[in-house]
Amino acid sequence: MSEILRYVSDAFVVLGIFFAFAGTVGLLRMPDAFCRMQSSTNIATLGLYGAVIGGLVKAVSMILEGHELGWTMLVKIALIGLFSILANPIGGHSIAKAAYRKGVEHTEFVCDKYGEDEFDD
Amino acid sequence: MKKASFGAWLATFLLCLGFWMLVTLSTAPDMLIAGVIVSLLASLFAARFFIHESPFHLLNPKHLFSLLGYTLLVFPVELLKANWDVARRALSPALPINPGIVKVPSEMKSEYGQAMLANSITLTPGTITLDVAEDEQGKAWYYIHWIDVAEGTAEEQGETIKGTLEKWVGRIFE
Repeated sequence: MSEILRYVSDAFVVLGIFFAFAGTVGLLRMPDAFCRMQSSTNIATLGLYGAVIGGLVKAVSMILEGHELGWTMLVKIALIGLFSILANPIGGHSIAKAAYRKGVEHTEFVCDKYGEDEFDD
Repeated sequence: MKKASFGAWLATFLLCLGFWMLVTLSTAPDMLIAGVIVSLLASLFAARFFIHESPFHLLNPKHLFSLLGYTLLVFPVELLKANWDVARRALSPALPINPGIVKVPSEMKSEYGQAMLANSITLTPGTITLDVAEDEQGKAWYYIHWIDVAEGTAEEQGETIKGTLEKWVGRIFE
């Protein structure tokens, strides 16, 4: 059983590596700050979550083998997953908003509804 | 900033204590007493920032199961689809992007619901919420940077971006 779980864990890590790779390629190729942020979300979600779920499955396989470190590993990885999913979108949103307000250069937008509406704060 | 109710304070205290126990992984009495003292101080200070609406809303089984279904099933599927789409764009030689900022309406009334929907949209690759604003009728509008803007009215674009997410977040918080 724990043998199979190790293969499942490896499969999740490989999936994470694929999305982290795609995100990195996007980060290098995208033309402006906003599009680069869109690509980096790839790394922050499935790139990270592939590794997190892989780690969780690995911790379960360690518990099944009677390894005593399994439980602490499980809790720590679950907390990493929880906090990253809480903090990531808030950071991403603030960076994008600040970049827009600061007038960072970008490629031509198809439409820009945010610039049309007036904000006085 | 209005004063926190007893319920809000109790909920914050229980959350802090539960988190303490999760981190220490110990049931020794001295650790628990230290945890109670720290959680008490933290919740007295933080409850009024932390909870603005009904504190035990999520204990209703209907809301709790919606939350579980959303985080374990609905959102991961949306995440996988959007991730695959953006990865394909980044790796494709032609780099097919069509970026722009759209303004879409939302039916969400609850503060928590609005925040959760905005964060879900930001977490999905391809869309980032720049701002949320309310119009005169109190209706929420989201400003979203979108990597591949589709033609259509604001409502149709909102339907494409939010998909099933809004319905599920609504079930949790309303």
